[in-house]
Order: sequence, then C-alpha cells, then structure tokens
Amino acid sequence: MTAPTPVMRKSRSTWTPAQIALTVVAAALSLIWVSPLVWALSTSLKTPTESVTSPHWIPKDFTLDSWKSVFEAGNIPNWFVNSLVVSVCVTFIVMLVASLAAYGFARTEFRGKSALMALTMAGLMFSPAILGVPLFTTVQSLGMVDTYWGMILPQCAPAAMVYILYKFFQSLPRELEEAAFIDGAGRWRIFFTIVLPLSKPSLSAVGIFTFIASWNNFLWPYMVTNNPDLMTMPNGIATVQNAFGIVWPKLMAGGLIAGLPLIIVFVFFQSQIVRGVAHTGLAGQ
Amino acid sequence: MSSVSSTTTAVAPATTLRPRTATAAESARARWGRRFQHGGWFVAPFFVMYGLFVIVPVVRGLYLSLTDANISGDHTSFVGLANYREALKDDLVWSSLWHSVKFTMYVVPCIIVVALLMALIAHHAVHFKWLWRLCFFAPFLLPSAVVGNLWWWLFQPTNGMVNHVLGLDTPWLAQKSTAMTAVVIATLWWTVGFSFLLYLAALQNIPQHLYEAAELDGANAFKRLLHITVPNLRNITGLVLALQILASLQVFDQVVVMYQFGPGPEESTRTFVQYTLEQGFTSYRVGYASAISFILFLIIAVVALGRMWLLRNREEAAR
Amino acid sequence: MGLPGLNRRQLLAGVGGLTVAGSLGFAALGTGADALASSARTRVRYWNLFSGGDGANQVAMVDAFRTAHPDVAVKASTLTWGGPYYTKLAMAAAGNRAPDLAVMHQGRVPGFAPGRLLDPWDMDLLTKYGVKEADFNPVLWQRGIVDGKLYALPLDIHVQLNFYRKDVCEKAGLLDADGKLPSAGSTDEWFEILKSAKKQLRNGVQTLGLHANDQNFAWWFFVAFYQQLGGSYFNDDQTDVTFDTDKATQVLEFFRKHVTDGYVTVGAADGEAFIAGSPFTWEGNWSVPYFNGEKVGYGAQPLPPVFGTPATHAESHSFVLPHQSDRGGAANEGAHMLAAYMIKHATAWAGGGHVPAYLPTFEDPAYLKLSPQSEYSKPAMEHPATEPHIWFAGSTGILAQRIGPVVAASNLGSAKPDAAARRMKSGLEQLLAMKNPMDGRTAAQELKGAGA
Repeated sequence: MTAPTPVMRKSRSTWTPAQIALTVVAAALSLIWVSPLVWALSTSLKTPTESVTSPHWIPKDFTLDSWKSVFEAGNIPNWFVNSLVVSVCVTFIVMLVASLAAYGFARTEFRGKSALMALTMAGLMFSPAILGVPLFTTVQSLGMVDTYWGMILPQCAPAAMVYILYKFFQSLPRELEEAAFIDGAGRWRIFFTIVLPLSKPSLSAVGIFTFIASWNNFLWPYMVTNNPDLMTMPNGIATVQNAFGIVWPKLMAGGLIAGLPLIIVFVFFQSQIVRGVAHTGLAGQ
Repeated sequence: MSSVSSTTTAVAPATTLRPRTATAAESARARWGRRFQHGGWFVAPFFVMYGLFVIVPVVRGLYLSLTDANISGDHTSFVGLANYREALKDDLVWSSLWHSVKFTMYVVPCIIVVALLMALIAHHAVHFKWLWRLCFFAPFLLPSAVVGNLWWWLFQPTNGMVNHVLGLDTPWLAQKSTAMTAVVIATLWWTVGFSFLLYLAALQNIPQHLYEAAELDGANAFKRLLHITVPNLRNITGLVLALQILASLQVFDQVVVMYQFGPGPEESTRTFVQYTLEQGFTSYRVGYASAISFILFLIIAVVALGRMWLLRNREEAAR
Repeated sequence: MGLPGLNRRQLLAGVGGLTVAGSLGFAALGTGADALASSARTRVRYWNLFSGGDGANQVAMVDAFRTAHPDVAVKASTLTWGGPYYTKLAMAAAGNRAPDLAVMHQGRVPGFAPGRLLDPWDMDLLTKYGVKEADFNPVLWQRGIVDGKLYALPLDIHVQLNFYRKDVCEKAGLLDADGKLPSAGSTDEWFEILKSAKKQLRNGVQTLGLHANDQNFAWWFFVAFYQQLGGSYFNDDQTDVTFDTDKATQVLEFFRKHVTDGYVTVGAADGEAFIAGSPFTWEGNWSVPYFNGEKVGYGAQPLPPVFGTPATHAESHSFVLPHQSDRGGAANEGAHMLAAYMIKHATAWAGGGHVPAYLPTFEDPAYLKLSPQSEYSKPAMEHPATEPHIWFAGSTGILAQRIGPVVAASNLGSAKPDAAARRMKSGLEQLLAMKNPMDGRTAAQELKGAGA
C-alpha cells in the first residue's frame, strides 16, 4: 500500500514493482467502485424485457428509448430545473448570509456576541432529520408548504458554514482592513472589496459544498413538497412514478440524468472541488 | 464538532494592543473599534434565518411534544409528559433506535478503513492519480434517492448485478439476515468518497521530511506507515469518526428508497428518523413525533459534547 | 396559490436577477408557457396511486376524458403507492395545497379525518353529471358516508386472486372440462393441487407466489382466510378485542406450511416468476393487464375457500376531495365532472382488472366478455373479506403496518404461528386503546359520538 516514495524517486522508471502493485490494487478497487454505475448505464440501454431476463453487461438490443422517454414524457426535465433553481438560490443565500455573519463574529463587537456565537454553535447539533416534524409545522404556519421559498429558506441557516468562515476570517491579517479604514472606507465596503476577494478559496469551498449538499438534499424537499410539479430531482425520483410500474431501464436512465451533471462538473473542476470539500471538512477540526 | 472555547475568544479591539503611532491613524483605529460596536448588522440576516428555521422549530417542537397535536393543527390539547412516557414504553422507538445505532456501528468502521486505504492508494500512486480520485469520489456526488434506487436494482435476487457477479441467488433485500448489510454496502459505496478526501488532504499535509528522516534511520515502508503516517492521522480520524457517527445516526434517505418507504423485511431496517416521520406524517401524530425526535437529539448532543470534551482534554494534555 | 407557476413567479420577483440569470431565466420561460396553458381553461389537479398494471388503463381513461372535455385541463400525477402516497396527501391537505381530486382506498377514509382533511361531495353536482346512489353497490356506497355526508365516491372493488397457469395445470390434470381450475374446498385439497403441479416443474421454479415476506400481502391474505374461519377483530361497540388466536394460528400454520413444504421461495419476484413458468401466484387483480400483456394462458379465481366459507380480501378505490379551504368554483366542478366520467366509463377501468362499483357496467356486453374478469368478479363481489371498519384500518394503514410484519415473520419462520397470533392480538389491543390523533378519541368513543 505504502509505496516508499523516496525509493521510487531514485529509480529511473516510475514503474517500480511497488508502483505496479499499487496501480493494480487501485485499478481493482476503482473497478469495484465504478461497476454499479456501469451496470446502471448498461441497464438504461436495454429494453425493459431484456433488463429482467438473465443478467448480462452488454445490451443485446441496444436502445435509447428509456433516455428519450425520460426526457420527453416524464417530469424529469421539470425537476431538473427545480433542483437547479433551489440549489443555486440556496448556495447564493448561504454564501452571503454565512460570510456576513462570520465576519460579524470575527471582526466586530456588539452586545450579546458571545451568547449568539454559542447559540450558533449549538445549532450544529440540529438537522432537518431531527427537527423534521416541528420544522414542517413551522413552515406550514408560514404558508410555505409547496413553494420554492419553503424548500430554499430552511436550508439557508447553516451554522457549520458560519463556523468555517469565522475560523478563516480570524486567520486573515487585520492590517489591510485597518489601512482601508484609515483611508476612509466604510466597514461594508471593506467587507465587499477587501475581505471577500481575499476569501475566494474558502468561499468557493463553502459554495461548492453547499451546492452539492443542496442538489442532493432529499429529506427536506421530501417533507415540504407534495406537488409533483415542484419537486426537486432526488425527491421526484423517489416519490413519483410513471403509471406503468417499475421499469428498470427508465429508473436507471432517470437516476443517471440526476447524477451525471455533478459528476461531469467534477471531472472538469476536480482539484477545486477536492480542495473545497477537504477544506470545508477539515475546517471542522 | 467545534469547541465552545472558541466562542468566548472575542476579538479584542485592535487599538488596545498597538503601540502609539501618529495621532490621526490612532484616532482612526479608535473609531474602527468603536464603530464596529454596531457590527450586529452583519449577523442579523443569518439570525433571521436561524431564528425562523432552527430556534423557532426547536421551541415549537418542545411545545408540541407536550401536546397531542395532529398534522391538521386543530384539536390540540396539553398532555404533559404523556408522550415521553409512551415513548419509553414503545417497542418501536427502541427497535428503530437500535437499527440506527447498529447501522452506525457497522458503517463507520467500514468507512474509516476503506477511506484510509483509498487515500493511501491515491496519495502514493504516481500514475493515474486523477482517475483513482474520480472513481473513489464520484458516488458521493449522486443524490441519495438515485443511490437507493440503484442498489435496490443491484440487489435484486435474480436480475441484479451483485448476485450476477458473485454467483449467488441471495434475496438481499428480502431477508432479515442480509437487509442491514445491504444498506451498509450501499452507504459505504456512496459516502466513503467524502472521508477519503479528508484523509487525502491530511496525508498531503504530513511534512515530507519526517519520512526522509525515518528512511535515513533505516525504517522500512511498513514502519514508516505505523510510526509516522498513523500518528499524524489521529486528528483527522477523530474528525471523520465524529462526522460519520453524527451523520449515520440520522440515516434515512437511502434506506427508505431501497425499501420503498417500508420497514424492511420483518421491520429490520426501520431507522429512527424514519419512525419519527412515520409517526408525524403517516400516523399524523405530530406531538408524539416531536417527543421522540428529542430522544434522538439527546443522543446526538451526547456524542457532540463528548467529542468537545475529548478535544478539550487533549488540548489541555498537549499544553 | 396552488399553481406552481405563481410560486415560481413570486420567487423570481424576490430573487430577480441577483445571480445565475441563466437558470432562472429558464424557469421563467417554463412559467410563461404554463400560465398561458392553464389560465385559458379550467385546471383540475388529480392525484392517484395507480402504478401497477392498472396504471395504463387509468392514463387511457384520463386521455379519453380530455378528448371529451377539451375545456378542462387535467393535471394527473401518479405518486408512489402505499404509505408515501397517503403521507403526501395528508400533508398537502394539512398545508392547504391539496389537489382538486384524489383517489383513496375506502378503508382509509375513517382515519383521514373526513371534514378536516377531506371535503364532502356536492350531491347536486354529482347528480348534474349523472351519478346517483341507485347505480352503486349499496355496501360500497354506504361505506363512503360519514355523518350523513358522502366523502368517498366508490370507483371499484379490488380483490386478491389465485392466478393459475393453464399450461402447467393442464399437464398436471387439474383443469375441469371448461379449462378452469376447480376451487379447493379444504387445505388438503389445496396442497394436493400444489403437489401435483410441482411435479411438472423444473428444479428451482417455485410452485406458488405467496409474497411471504411482504407485510401488505401477508396481511391481506390473512384477512381473507381469517374471515373464511368466521373470525372477528372487535366487538360491535369497539370496546373489546374479539380476536380469536386459535383461528389465527390455524391460518398462520396454513401459510407457513407453503414455505416449509417447499412450494414457496422466499424473496422471489412472484409476478415475474409466474410469467416465467411458475404455476400459481396470489396477487391483486391489478396484475391482470400485466399478465395479459405477456400472453400467458392463465385463469384467476378468488383465493381458495380452504376453510369452508368462501371469502377473499377486498378493498375499494374511491374518489375523494382533499380539503381545500376555498373549495368551489370551476376546478371543483371539474373534479366532480372527472370523477363522474371515470366512474361511468368503468368498462375501461375493469380492463385494469378491477371490479367496477358502478352497477350498470355489469350489463355492458363488452365488460362481460373480459377474461379472466368474468371468472372472478361475481364471486369476489359476493364474498369480500374487508379489514375492520375503524380509523386505523385501510390499505397500508396503521393496522397493516403493525400487524402485517407479524404475519410475515410467521411466514418466514422467525416467529411460531401461535406466538405470532398472540402478538397480533396484543397489537390489536394497543390499537383499540389508541386515540385517533385527528380527534383525540378512541375508536369506541368515536362510535358513540362521545367527546374527547
């Protein structure tokens, strides 16, 4: 497993025995990890009858019917747009609200600050999974069941993101802000023109992570939307069926359509996303 | 996940710490400190959201848990602690809690071991690094509902991939003995990517010179792993452990999708969150559902506070 | 308020052009088209749970309605059957976002808070669209009435059936002169039938699909055979449990024997196995179109009267009006119109396997020609075994959720039949003592009309 890096550096070829072994193990594990997706793709290209007759990898009757019918008949394009609207709004609001609050906690003084900070930290322990029922009745009494707002706003109180950005702002040197202040800049201008540009890596980490979490969020949209027209992708896939029972190729095609956008984005922005997720996660340390 | 101690380290006004300089600058700095007395405006938007969607529901939940409220919101009357008393006697509360705990006990060690293994591979590999990283991480990007449907299909006894590859005819999702294992496998596949990235980032942060020094001392690869890598990953393992325990106790999505919102074979996969939602939204007992939610909250709080306590102890020991 | 288009527009107004003009612009386009389509006509939102073999018939009927009434735009949504459907429906009604029309199992109506989560039917409107009480099976009609008002308009009755493959049964010499399977009159006769059919099978093919590990089917089959033994659940006042554990044990032992004698493979996909050559399967009548589509020669009869008296499990689909605080107007009238149309065109619905509740259908020659419907519809209608009429009962209701898994556990052998029967009884006792969360009263108090 632990190929001795220095040894390898000494040898001429990088294909040392250790590296070969490592590559083989990596390939095997990757194969296992990718095979479910390959199987899903293969199923989605089969006819419904072929999908339930003796299992095999390569479709005999190669067909794109399931993909077509998912795009044409189903609600999936609609859910896709809903997912996009919700995730984009959540990401934008979270980034704005959390960075403001984090800056407030890191750089300003006001009465009750430490109490509010403690309250925020306590919020790390609550999630829609625990609060589901009372959160639903709250949103119900705000008249937001089955609305975009009802889906979006409850996802926009992320104590964890405030904490991550708070840690980051604390680590920024004060001098720049002070200098700008002496030059007569207001604190809002300082925040938007100096602090935010300095925080791009952290902010994009928070943004990426929020977007992934929101795009994949199932539980809350499941609770708060009943109207199939308003459902997001994960929710619609799980609770609305077409009227012809379970047709595996269609189910798999729909699933891939829901899952592929983020995977494709990942292929292109791999290092940013890796850094983003790692940074957001590590900040919890 | 965080330590409370950080909350009390209020940022001292910068002015008091600095040596005297030009008066203009000094007075500016004084104003900087003073004017920020109104910094509450920065946190206001967050607290509007937070108040509406965290604090109000918590308070409301506490109130509801003392009533017999139903989903339509009328005919509510105060019942004192009756819901909590009922919950203590409700077998399904305990069995579903046990399912969530059992799931956590199975899945968390698996995730840690596999994530570490993957991270070591991706860290040390010279070739195709990006490919391994993509393969290991990709499932994490799928929505839970897709993961549930996918594994529902993969675990089909006669047409599924799992039995096809393994040459078995096990009805994975239909029998009590394999039902939870199936959920653990699906979850491991789906979520290990996140922990994998954390480990990978941590490995990259271990200073290279430690390894070089050890190598000069004649330590072989295995010894270097044991004496340098593992101790340096202690902190991140603590973090992964805490994050995974907290998330796993709240498991819901993939399980209900794999079992079509049912309780699994012989009710062996009904999780705690599922049971609260069944009580609240299927049996319409909002009051009772709120009461049992607080049982889960208590457990989560114990885990979270336990981690804080451990962290603080370690910090003090380090001093 | 109920229109998603409006919410989308509100949202756009709120967030308007802050970011990502692209995706929001796309959403706005969708709204425009949607609003144009719906404002010109009456829009009826209709929810159903028909995702079995009956789904296609339902879609065809709604399409026929659209052609017949181009002025009414029907927005039909099929949600996942069972628990999730009722959860969504209850939450929509509680959140005042309910659809205009919905399908509901009749057994669920007492627990669905008629008057609060459901609105009563407007009898004048129903009359206007040609629906009258005299045309319905009186038992079904009466079951839909709560406090003198009609809440559930019956569409059909659907039953559990014993499907048999004619090819295998013929080889085993089981069919009579008409090519039909005579029903077994005792457990011995039934197991003889299974035994001779099994001899015709390859190894690994199961003889009977029993859905042994499915809590819903397990419970439905139990209801059927328990009624054959004349068993009851509660006394008339709904104050006491009268569940007979001896009779229940007898039923559970009967089920278990199928597994221990090797006629049933636990976890098999029963419908697919039947198509692939397994001779018998117990399924709902909604599987008829599925099996018809596969060109299998088969017959269907009510579950065999192995304990003497014929009885097979029956539920009923009905139309309901989910509660809307401002119910009325064109959408409400459209809902009445759509429901009346579906009920009166029940021959098409019967193609989905269900037995129509609308009696004139039985005089329709097209209906009488349907096979295998002709074989089972009359006996099924005459000997229905239903769940007790009580707030926690009904398809996939609390009763089925609590008791079904016990039956399944006994089927799979993880609980002994007599122990399972006792567990069922104590489960029933708990449920009877439980208060209906909708009105804070127990079943007995509800029956007496007492206050909480």
